[in-house]
Amino acid sequence: MSGIETIKIIVDSEREAAKMLADADAKALEIRKRLDSLIQIQRNEALNAAKKEAAALVQKAENDGKAESLEYEKDAENRIRTVVSRASAKKGEAVEKLVALILGMKA
Amino acid sequence: MSETGKFTEEILTAANEKAQVIINEAETSTQHALNEAKMHSAREAEDVLSNGRAEAEGVKRRKISETRHRLKLKEQSEKSKILTDVLEQTRARVNDVAKDENKYFAYLVGLVSSGISEIGLDAVVVHLNSRDLKQIDLNRLEREIAKNPGKAIKIEFSKEPIVASGGVIVSSIDGKTRIVNTLDQRFEALESKLLIEAGKILFGE
Repeated sequence: MSGIETIKIIVDSEREAAKMLADADAKALEIRKRLDSLIQIQRNEALNAAKKEAAALVQKAENDGKAESLEYEKDAENRIRTVVSRASAKKGEAVEKLVALILGMKA
Repeated sequence: MSETGKFTEEILTAANEKAQVIINEAETSTQHALNEAKMHSAREAEDVLSNGRAEAEGVKRRKISETRHRLKLKEQSEKSKILTDVLEQTRARVNDVAKDENKYFAYLVGLVSSGISEIGLDAVVVHLNSRDLKQIDLNRLEREIAKNPGKAIKIEFSKEPIVASGGVIVSSIDGKTRIVNTLDQRFEALESKLLIEAGKILFGE
């Protein structure tokens, strides 16, 4: 092999080495460039999942609240009916007592 | 392998290693940044969830609280209707008593006597409503009042009727001092007590 050929081989290999480094730099740049969008995607996924879970919690609470309210309403309506019924039956007694209070106080 | 071959291989191997380091560093730093961002996003997501939990609790509490309040008002309204009815019936019954001379006369004697006692004067004017002025035997009323122990009181009956469903106003001769013992005043004065007593009987309160 002549000296010129040897130099050419070395220059070629150095050119190839420089290209390898340039490619590596480009790839590293590409990796770093993708970082922002990866972070954004990752954040959106986490927040969307949390929002979905939160919305489900609120919906469940609304349903639970409705069910509990209905149950309470049923009990309360029964209680009110009983109170009204008992009180209505005692109206006469109450009137007698009040009349006695009014007429009996100073009479 | 020739010396040149070895040399070029070394150049390429070194370049390859360095290239790998560059890429590895980029990947490592990216992964690190990604992990940090992930932790930050997780905290944000936890905040969203935490707010969601608080909102959910509020929604449920509000719903139940509204229902309780609405039913409490309904119960109060039903009780109030019954109490109002009882007070109206009581008023009607008291007015009926005022129309029944047998029951009312003794009661009126008591009201007049009590008024005279309270005003504490030797001479008084007794004011009655128009029905009592027509129906009640005023001489008998005066006689009955005179039976009460104590000093003799001069009683004058006003010819001007008062506006009342029954009862009496006892005043001084000059009208400056008055004891109001009408049924309406008695009802008004006793109303809060009547409500309490009725509440005890009707609702056990």
